[in-house]
Amino acid sequence: MTVPLSFYVAVSAGLFFIGCAGVLTRRNAVVILMCVELMLNAANLALVAFSRRFGAVDERGSVFVIFVFVIAAAEVAVGLAIVLSAYRNRPVIDVDEIHQMKG
Amino acid sequence: MPVGPFGLDPLIWGPLRLVIAVALALFLVLNGALLQIYLERKIQAIIQDRLGPYHVGPFGLLQTFADAIKLIAKEDVRARATDPWFFLAAPALVFCPMLASWVVLPFAQDIVGADLNIGLLYLTTLGSMTVLGIVIAGWASNNKYALVGGLRSAGQLISYEIPQILALVSVALVVGSLSMVDITRSQPGPLVNVLVLPLSFVIYFIAALAETNRTPFDLPEAESELVAGWLTEYSGMRWGTMLALSEYGNVTVVSSIVTTLWFGGWQGPGVDAVPILGVLWFTLKVYGVIVVMMWIRATLPRLRIDQLMTFCWLGLIPLALLNILVVAVLALAFPDTKIPIAIASWVLLLAFIAGIPFVQRRRLASLRARASASAVRAAS
Amino acid sequence: MRFDFVEPVVFALLAFGVIGAGAAVVLLNRVTASALLMALSFLCMAGMFVLLGAETIAAFQVLIYVGAITVLIIFGVQFTKQGGDRSYALFFQKQYPLAAALVAAVAIPVVLFAFSFNAPTPQPGGGDIRPLATSVFTDFAFAFEVASVLLLAAMVGAIVLTQRDEPPDGMRRRR
Repeated sequence: MTVPLSFYVAVSAGLFFIGCAGVLTRRNAVVILMCVELMLNAANLALVAFSRRFGAVDERGSVFVIFVFVIAAAEVAVGLAIVLSAYRNRPVIDVDEIHQMKG
Repeated sequence: MPVGPFGLDPLIWGPLRLVIAVALALFLVLNGALLQIYLERKIQAIIQDRLGPYHVGPFGLLQTFADAIKLIAKEDVRARATDPWFFLAAPALVFCPMLASWVVLPFAQDIVGADLNIGLLYLTTLGSMTVLGIVIAGWASNNKYALVGGLRSAGQLISYEIPQILALVSVALVVGSLSMVDITRSQPGPLVNVLVLPLSFVIYFIAALAETNRTPFDLPEAESELVAGWLTEYSGMRWGTMLALSEYGNVTVVSSIVTTLWFGGWQGPGVDAVPILGVLWFTLKVYGVIVVMMWIRATLPRLRIDQLMTFCWLGLIPLALLNILVVAVLALAFPDTKIPIAIASWVLLLAFIAGIPFVQRRRLASLRARASASAVRAAS
Repeated sequence: MRFDFVEPVVFALLAFGVIGAGAAVVLLNRVTASALLMALSFLCMAGMFVLLGAETIAAFQVLIYVGAITVLIIFGVQFTKQGGDRSYALFFQKQYPLAAALVAAVAIPVVLFAFSFNAPTPQPGGGDIRPLATSVFTDFAFAFEVASVLLLAAMVGAIVLTQRDEPPDGMRRRR
């Protein structure tokens, strides 16, 4: 008995909403980055699940997962760099306190 | 109903096979570590004109057993300021990936845990997981030496992973497979890959020395600079698991990769007639590579951290990229023969070795010029 | 179909790991613990990929998410001072019930809707590296190139952003 596709999609949706809630409620910039990664990963699961169950032989859905990996890596590198340079100006990591850019 | 090997139900055979594989890997890791520590000490002693361990057992053979028993019997010390969960989790995080990578090592014709079609990718993946354990160990120790050691180690491991993977890519390009068994099968004769791709072998070997924290790249645990790096707060069997088992296990894994990819794995004289002879050839080749690593440890001094990073990012990575480019173009241009790749690779390797003194001289000259210029500025 | 019950059991464990670790990332107050649990969530996700028969994607997942992104995030945690009394956003501090109700109102229908998908034919597992590579390097070659340029730009950007403005040699010595 294989696990039906719907279960994978449900896990994906659940993880996406957990990440979403984290981005909304947490104030630590690093944790917000982590939650964004969780959301990207949830999207990956949905892509792979649909690709493996619906797709033809050529794995088109999974290819996008590779691009999502690239985006995630770039995003976390630049995001952390921004957090660190903001931290160097004023040593807070709290997104509510980082408001130098507000006019 | 399908029947597995030995007339067992596959439902039983599956888990049983797993248990046997894990037990065998553990056995090999434990004994390999004991043997390698002994070898290391003896070889260092011979090179430095000493005797090495000789008290316990004949030729000191039981010395490492005695050490292991001492480690196991030692009190389990944990400093109060350490982070309990992470402190306990870190050795497991270092040890488990190493143990898991033994699954795909092909010891002989059919003696392999699982012939994954992404074997090489699997090995690099597990290699990259070690970093996490080391960073966590450094962080959990709550000690500045451990923290600095952990961060240094993470920087080093992540940097040297890149040339390592790039070197593996060139082999995959030539062989056309990522499966360890296929790679071994592709080099049956005397034309092993090290003759075809010497440059990628050298790059991989240097990067592997850094990955396994061997001298000249053993900065993460540089005794004279950082006490013991990220291992400072660990003692007893936890230290034994991290250092002795994981490090020497990783050395074995890396040497097995070198053996499989560049030295033909279990291929050797007489293997076709007696397949079990492959284990002997494989072990001999692996230990040959390990002995070279120990020899290097006794010969070369340790690098400084900025030299280490400069060498990786400005030396190895561009070289590895160039190597991939050349190998890919030649593999596409001459799909039937490996000779052009071999010629190009040897030329590149010789150019690399011959070019080092020139580059080094120019770097030293520019450093000297900068130093004297700043001295003049400071004096004025 | 040799193992009738193994796959669902493994799936249940992995799903518990993914969701539980993900929830812990959001709920825990300690940032280092969050980072480590995020790695656990990623690992369980890789297990799910293997269960779906996409081993290559699983290997990339572990290589990139556990080996690189988690380590990078732990670096970020270690370079910044953590702590502080309030760990949740100001907007949601007093409105937990309201926020929970809002998220649940969206999330529960979506998750329930997700259960309505069913697949016509499960693809055979294993050996997904060849079709994947063929796809990436033929149909999506341009996207691949763009992605590599993006990575290069991100790398340069990260280096520039985190670089300290070094004072000139003479200045530093006089101080």
